Amino acid sequence: MTKLMEWLFGLTLLSTVWLTLSFDLLGLNLPETYQQAIWPFPIYLLLIFGCYSLATIGFRVATFNNCEDAARELQDQIQEAKKDLARRGLKF
Amino acid sequence: MATKTDQLVGFSILGFSLALFTYCSVWIIALPFIDSDHVIHSYFLPREFSVLLPLVAGLLLLLSVGFFISFVMWKNWRPKKKYE
Repeated sequence: MTKLMEWLFGLTLLSTVWLTLSFDLLGLNLPETYQQAIWPFPIYLLLIFGCYSLATIGFRVATFNNCEDAARELQDQIQEAKKDLARRGLKF
Repeated sequence: MATKTDQLVGFSILGFSLALFTYCSVWIIALPFIDSDHVIHSYFLPREFSVLLPLVAGLLLLLSVGFFISFVMWKNWRPKKKYE
C-alpha cells in the first residue's frame, strides 16, 4: 500500500465516521453536546494541521544549525575532483 | 548557527502555535461539555466563530499566497517582454 492510498483510506474512514455521526445516519440520537463537539471536526483537523506545520517551522527556525562536517567533506571532495581533473589535463 | 533573533522568532512561532492549538481544542472540544452558565464561557467567543474564524483565516491565507505568487510571476515576466 502506497502512502497516498494510506492517507486516502484514513481520510475516507474519518469522513465516513464524521458523516455518520453528524447526520445521525444510524439513528443513535446522540445528546446535543456530543453533536456540538462532533460537528466542527473537519475544521478542527485542519486547524491541528496548521498548528503542527507552524510549530514545525518555528522549531526548525529556532534550531537551525550549520553542517560543519558535511561542509568539510564537500570541500575535500571538491579538492579531490580538482586534483583528478588536473591530472587528466584540465586547466582551471 | 541559529542566531539569537532566529531562536527568538522560532520559539515565539512555536509558542504561538501551541497556544492557538490549546485554545482551539478547549473551544471546540471541551466547551460543549461544560455548563453554559460556567465562568469559562465568558473567555470564549460564541461557538459559530470557532468555525467561521478558521475559514476566514484560511481564505485570507490562500488569497495572500495567490496574490504573492501572481505578483512574483508578473514581476519576473515583464522584463522578458521587452527583449522580444
